[in-house]
Amino acid sequence: MTPLLLAQGLAIGLVNGALYILTALGLTLIYGILHIVNFAHGEIYMLGAMAVYVFFVVLQWPLGAALAAIVLLAALLGLAIERGVFRNLRGQWMQLLVASVGISLIIQSLSWIAFGAQEKNVPSVLPGVVALAGVRVPIERLAAAGVALVLVAALYWVVYRTRTGLAMRAIEEDEETARMLGVNADRVAAVAVALGFILAGLGGAFVAPIYSLNPGMGLEAILMSFIIIIIGGLGSITGTVLAGLAIGVLQSIGALALGAEAAHVLVFAAMIAVLILRPQGLLGRG
Amino acid sequence: MFRSFIAAALTAAASLAAAPALAQEAFKIGNLSPLSGPAAAFGIGINRGIELAAEDVGTFTVAGRQYKLELAPYDTSLDPGKTVAALNRAVLNDNVKYGFILGAAVHGAVLPIVRQTGFFDIFMGAAGREITNAENPTVFRFMASSDQLYYTFTPEIYRKLGIKRVAFLGPNNDLGRSDVRTLKDVAARLKGEGVEFVGEELVEINAKDFQAALLRLLARNPDAIDTNASPTGTVGLIAKQARELGYKGHFISSTAVLEAKALVSIAGAGADNIVAYRIWSNPPTKLYQEIAERHEKKYKEATLGTVWEAYAATRWVVEAVVKAGSFDTRRVAEQLAGSTFQFHPYGPASWGGTKSHGARRQIQTPLPASIIKGGKWEPLDVRMGTLE
Amino acid sequence: MTVARVAALLLALIVLPFVATPYALHVAIVVLFNVTYTAALYAVLRMGYLSLGHAGFIALGAYTCVILSVRLGVSPWLGIPAGGLVAGLFAWGLGALTLRLRGIYFALAIFAFGEIVTAFFRAFDWFGGPAGIPGVPRPAFLGTPLASHFAFYWPVLVVAVLGIAILYRLQYTRFGAALLTLKTAESERLAESVGIPAARYKTANFVVSCVITGTMGTLHAQYLLFVNPQVFGSTMSTDLLIYAMVGGLAGFWGPILGAGLLTALGEQLFSVGYWKTLVYAAILMVVIMVLPGGLADLPRRLRAHFGAPR
Repeated sequence: MTPLLLAQGLAIGLVNGALYILTALGLTLIYGILHIVNFAHGEIYMLGAMAVYVFFVVLQWPLGAALAAIVLLAALLGLAIERGVFRNLRGQWMQLLVASVGISLIIQSLSWIAFGAQEKNVPSVLPGVVALAGVRVPIERLAAAGVALVLVAALYWVVYRTRTGLAMRAIEEDEETARMLGVNADRVAAVAVALGFILAGLGGAFVAPIYSLNPGMGLEAILMSFIIIIIGGLGSITGTVLAGLAIGVLQSIGALALGAEAAHVLVFAAMIAVLILRPQGLLGRG
Repeated sequence: MFRSFIAAALTAAASLAAAPALAQEAFKIGNLSPLSGPAAAFGIGINRGIELAAEDVGTFTVAGRQYKLELAPYDTSLDPGKTVAALNRAVLNDNVKYGFILGAAVHGAVLPIVRQTGFFDIFMGAAGREITNAENPTVFRFMASSDQLYYTFTPEIYRKLGIKRVAFLGPNNDLGRSDVRTLKDVAARLKGEGVEFVGEELVEINAKDFQAALLRLLARNPDAIDTNASPTGTVGLIAKQARELGYKGHFISSTAVLEAKALVSIAGAGADNIVAYRIWSNPPTKLYQEIAERHEKKYKEATLGTVWEAYAATRWVVEAVVKAGSFDTRRVAEQLAGSTFQFHPYGPASWGGTKSHGARRQIQTPLPASIIKGGKWEPLDVRMGTLE
Repeated sequence: MTVARVAALLLALIVLPFVATPYALHVAIVVLFNVTYTAALYAVLRMGYLSLGHAGFIALGAYTCVILSVRLGVSPWLGIPAGGLVAGLFAWGLGALTLRLRGIYFALAIFAFGEIVTAFFRAFDWFGGPAGIPGVPRPAFLGTPLASHFAFYWPVLVVAVLGIAILYRLQYTRFGAALLTLKTAESERLAESVGIPAARYKTANFVVSCVITGTMGTLHAQYLLFVNPQVFGSTMSTDLLIYAMVGGLAGFWGPILGAGLLTALGEQLFSVGYWKTLVYAAILMVVIMVLPGGLADLPRRLRAHFGAPR
């Protein structure tokens, strides 16, 4: 592999990794607070992407308005699902997991019925390519990855610099003590789910102009997110960020060196290795 | 009030009960295709093709009795297990003896049942003689096969566009793999003209990011990337990402039905120089145009790629049934294989494949080749050979 | 279930092929497949472990039998236990590695295992590659292959009844009772302190479940006359989980009831595409939210609600 090819592969991997992170972060955030692995998370990503198509392409809203609507709708959906389903099944992890599979199937089948079988496309908002010393990166991907990293920083701020974040961390640390100290656990759970859904919705929205869209697209996203949060450590924000970038690079360099199919198996193998050797993940706490 | 309601209900019930006695019997044509999942557009297109054909066929007479066409859809999700289940139900429970079965991949599972029951398989899918052959007399392929298109079209296209170095990028499924084999064989036959197969990349079926695979291919300087086994959205993404990585050459799709609008919407100007073999840049017949218009009016959507062929297949099979004077699938198969058909939207249709598949079970119709220029399909003036 | 009810059910299953249409027999065979898989899955769920890739073991059984009979010319009869054996061996190795994991970690590990199994068969042409392997032979009885629905029903019935009987019997041994005490890490430590070899018991239970799953998988492939990586993929794993959950996890017969009802219902929903998934998912959500004991619990709930004396 030439140095140029390696550099190009690295660039592709880092940008893709940054795009994976948003969806995975929401998943890990929800797991940290509610101990739910939300299988419906990929559908929120899909709905975010489809919403860009509906608001921006079909209804021709300005991009900012479309994104604001997505944030609002994702938050509302998160609150509704937390209140209607998750809260009633507290402490029953198997039922919770299967319920999230059920929600995922419902959203997916309704979307197929509503959007039809034809793939949807969102025309590129920022066409063009940046070339630096022979390494080419499309502007839209670079921009999406940049915004994603800004959102990651914002999440850090929420979790480590606000009262709500403090309550979240308290609950994650020791739910019973936190409750005794007057933390409203239900409210924190609702906020966490809403935040997680917003991140997933935006994650989908940002890739809308990059890929083509269909109601099945959530599956790939959720798979990738699972792998990332298992490797990074369930509940760990920093772990998720690092694992996201690492998986992006492993995928692109692996595909360059061995082919796409082999890279796919490599990613799964990495996840199994982590599960067996260090089940709490690279940065998770046991 | 209540009494009149009862009376109305009774009248309605009576008329419903009496209806079958007055109406014609139903001739059910099944559609065992994906109606859900990523391949649903193909199956839904077939449903609509059958429905449009039913409008035009009206009632017909077989052995002195009147019949009317009826669509019996079965969702297979392109899953072999579900297709077997659907076929069992169609044949054993619903008395459906004729039907579309979509996808080469599911045929490994259904062919034993088709042979055993004599089900009339209106096959829509790629791959070649492993499906249509003398052992499966009731299987007819109503669309062009991969090998047919590759062998009859590809050499002419390479000559016309000056393509020498060819690469393949497609899904790692049976279709992708069989296309690579065929393409390599075509390239080997053209070795004397300087054509060379330079590389293949097989990716996950639902992949949307092809950058790494493309980088590997582009390192070998291809003039054309064959994207045959992929649907429109995927071809658009491949084109977009390849252009972003600096690729300037052609993309070629032989069997896939691509839509220019979607391709341009995904890849922008990068969609230029996508070549496809089954796309009519200009309607070939009045019927073709008419079906597209009726489809758009009835279903409020751009015409799905499989509609025209499903329409023609339905009408042609009904014609064969009427001429055979029987619903016996083997008799109808013999009748059909010897016939030609004037109502195919692509133009006059007949059967070929005696030599290459060992049975006259491969449809022959006029087929075009088109290329995207300035965001629109334009005809590519090449002559297609015939499959013996 | 009382002995009388079990006997009546068995009798009905034996009489069925003599009175049913071929189509009804086809449905019965598919129901028997899914019922057995779900009962086997339940044995794992019961000890607090969610096997999210159970179809991987069906695939292992199916492919073992198919490779033996199609590639190596071994009798299809021999392929049936061989498939169970291979599935069991994999379960043993995998169980030893992953049963220490709890909750979602185990679930995701088995999920990844299921994905890797199908990726493996897809990768190698000798295993049929993505297209799979057609022309799977069925076993022959007195020199005649079991080609008809009527003939093939019997081996399926035998494996289903044997498998379910074993699973049922195991529940009521000391072994089966001990498994119930291993649901959390703390209770497992407690169990170990009173002399229950927790790790061995868990692995043994997992292996039994997967042997039965894999054995039925061989018949599934013979019934379809075909295998490919897609047939026994992650969708099937999720379906089995839904069957079990809808039937109810409180007792042995719940998952069996769920698998039977939903499979039979699925046969009626062919023409509707996405609506079928929607119906399944809606039933699942209603059961989880308002009927935590599953459908098996419905009669008791109704009696309690309407106060019928019994």
